[in-house]
Amino acid sequence: MQSDYNTHIKRIVLLLVVAAVLGFLAKKFATPTSFGKYGHYRADAIQDEVDRPLRHMTNESCLSCHPFEWELHEQGRHKTISCEFCHGTYADHVQDGKFAGRLPVKKGEEIKTLCLRCHNKAIKARPKDVIKTVEMPRHLEDQHVQVTHICNQCHHVHAPLIYINHAQKVLGIEEANNGKQ
Amino acid sequence: MSAVHNGVMDVLTNFVLPNDLHVHWSLMIVLYPYITGIIAGAFIVSSLYHVFKIESLKPVSRYSLIFALAFLACATWPLLNHLGHPERALNMMLTPSPSSAMAGFGYIYSAYAILLIFEILLIYRPVMVALKARSTGLLHIIYGILTFGSDNVSSQSLKLDHKIIGFLAGLGIPMACVLHGYVGFIFGGIKANPTWSTPLMPVIFLLSASVSGISGVIFTYVTIQKFRKKPVDAECVRTLTKFLWGVFILCFTFEMLEIFTHSYLKTHHWEMIHGLLWGPLYKTFWVSQVGIFSLIPMLLLAWMCLFRVGNATLVFWSTIASGMLLVQVLLMRWNVVIGGQLMSKSGRGFTTFHPQFLEKEGILPAIIIMVAPLVILYLLEKIFPMWMDDERLTALDT
Repeated sequence: MQSDYNTHIKRIVLLLVVAAVLGFLAKKFATPTSFGKYGHYRADAIQDEVDRPLRHMTNESCLSCHPFEWELHEQGRHKTISCEFCHGTYADHVQDGKFAGRLPVKKGEEIKTLCLRCHNKAIKARPKDVIKTVEMPRHLEDQHVQVTHICNQCHHVHAPLIYINHAQKVLGIEEANNGKQ
Repeated sequence: MSAVHNGVMDVLTNFVLPNDLHVHWSLMIVLYPYITGIIAGAFIVSSLYHVFKIESLKPVSRYSLIFALAFLACATWPLLNHLGHPERALNMMLTPSPSSAMAGFGYIYSAYAILLIFEILLIYRPVMVALKARSTGLLHIIYGILTFGSDNVSSQSLKLDHKIIGFLAGLGIPMACVLHGYVGFIFGGIKANPTWSTPLMPVIFLLSASVSGISGVIFTYVTIQKFRKKPVDAECVRTLTKFLWGVFILCFTFEMLEIFTHSYLKTHHWEMIHGLLWGPLYKTFWVSQVGIFSLIPMLLLAWMCLFRVGNATLVFWSTIASGMLLVQVLLMRWNVVIGGQLMSKSGRGFTTFHPQFLEKEGILPAIIIMVAPLVILYLLEKIFPMWMDDERLTALDT
C-alpha cells in the first residue's frame, strides 16, 4: 500500500514533537535538584568542593617533623615560599598523620631546573626588586665559578644567601642584603 | 647612561603579565571558527541554487549540502577537545543560560543542524525511495528510516517537499549567517582584547566564512571529479569563481579596513596592535595572509572573471586560487585567535606561541579533526549520491 502524499511530513513533525517532549523530560529529570538555589549553578557543588580531601597544607604542617629546615627557611629569603612548591604535595607524604610516601628529592641538574622556574631572566614578568632573575650560564661566569656548577653549591636552597653572607663576613666584604639570608 | 637607558627600556617594553605568558586558546580555537565558516559558506552555495535558482550551480547543489553536513558533524570536536569532559557537553542544553554568549552556540548549532539534516532528507527523498527499492540488507533499512517509511513520490507529494525545501533553504541562509556571525561575535564581544573587540568582527568572520565555504566546494569538487575521472562542469566552476571573487573582495576589504581604521584613528591600542602586526605576526599576517594568500588569489580571480578564459585553464587556476584562499582563511583565523593572545594585557609586551605536534591540542589532533570531515563525507556519499553525473542519480532523477 502506498503512503499518503504527506505521510513523511507528518512523521517529521511527530519526530520533532517527540524530540521536544524527550528534551523537556530530560531537562526535568536530569537537571540536578539543587540547581538554581543560589544562582545559575548546582548548589550542591559547593558542598562537593568542601568535602574534597585536602591535598595541600601549610608550612606549619611540616614544622612538627622538620624543625631544623623550617627554622632555616624562616630566616631566609625564601620564607614566603611554600614547602610544597619545591618538595611536592603534602598528601603524597603524610596521610591521616602517618608517613605515606617519600617525596622525590631533587638532585644535580634537577635543582637547577627547579630554581630557574622562578629565577630565569627569560620570564619577563618578574620585577627585579621582588625576585632576582639570572641568565645561565652568564650568572656563573660573572661569579667566576665553573659553568657546570649547580645552584646549591653556592646557595642554600632554604636560605639562599646564608653561605654568601657568611663568606662575605669572613672576608670582610660588605654588601647590602638587608641582613637577609 | 646607556645601561640605565636600557634598563628603563627593559621595564617599559616586553613586560608580559604571568597569566598572559601562555596562549590558552590554541589550535583548537583556530579550527572551530574555520570549520563553522566552511559549513556556513558551503550552505550558502547550495542556497544559491535552491533559493536563488542559479541553475549553473546545479552540479554542486547537493554536494555542497552534504559537504556542509560532513563538516557540521565535526564542528564541535575542537571545542570538546579543548574544554575536556565531553560527557558534560549536553549540560548546557539541560540548564540553559540566556546570559551566556558561549552557551548560545549549543542552540544555534543544534537548530542549524536540524534544519540542514531535514533539508537534505527532503531533497534526497525521491532518490532514496528509488534506492531503497533497489537495495537490500542494511542499506534498505537505512533508506527506510531516512525516508520516514514513506514511498510516495507522486507529483503532489514532491510539490509539497519542494515547498518545504524552499522554505528551509531560505530560512537556512539567515541561520547560516547567525551561526557564523555568532562565532565572530564571540571574539568581537571580548572587550579586553583590542584586536578582537570590534563590531566589524562578525562581519569579517561571515565574509571569510563565505570565502572558505565557496573555496572548499570548488577545491574539493574539482579534486574529487579528477579523482573519479569524471568531467568537471566548467560553467559551474565559472559561476562559483565569480561569487568567490565578489565575496573575497568584500572580505579582504573589510580585513584591511579594520587595520586601516585602527591605524588612521590611532586608536587607544594602536601602538600595541602595530607592534603585534609588525612584530610576532609579521610573517603570518603581512607575508602569508595578505601578501601570498590574498593578493595572488585576488589577481587570479580578477583575471578569470574579467577576461575570457578557456574552460580547462579556468578550472585549473580556480582550484589553485580556492586552495590558496582556504589557507588564507585558516591564516586569518590563526592571526585573529592566536595573534590576539600574543599581546599581554600589560600593553607592553608580546609572548610567543609554538604548537607542539603531539600535545592534546597540538598539530596532530588538528590534522585528525580536519581530515575527519572528509572521511565522513566519503561515508555519507555511500548513502547520499552527491553527483548529478552519477549514474545512480541521473537514472533516478529522470
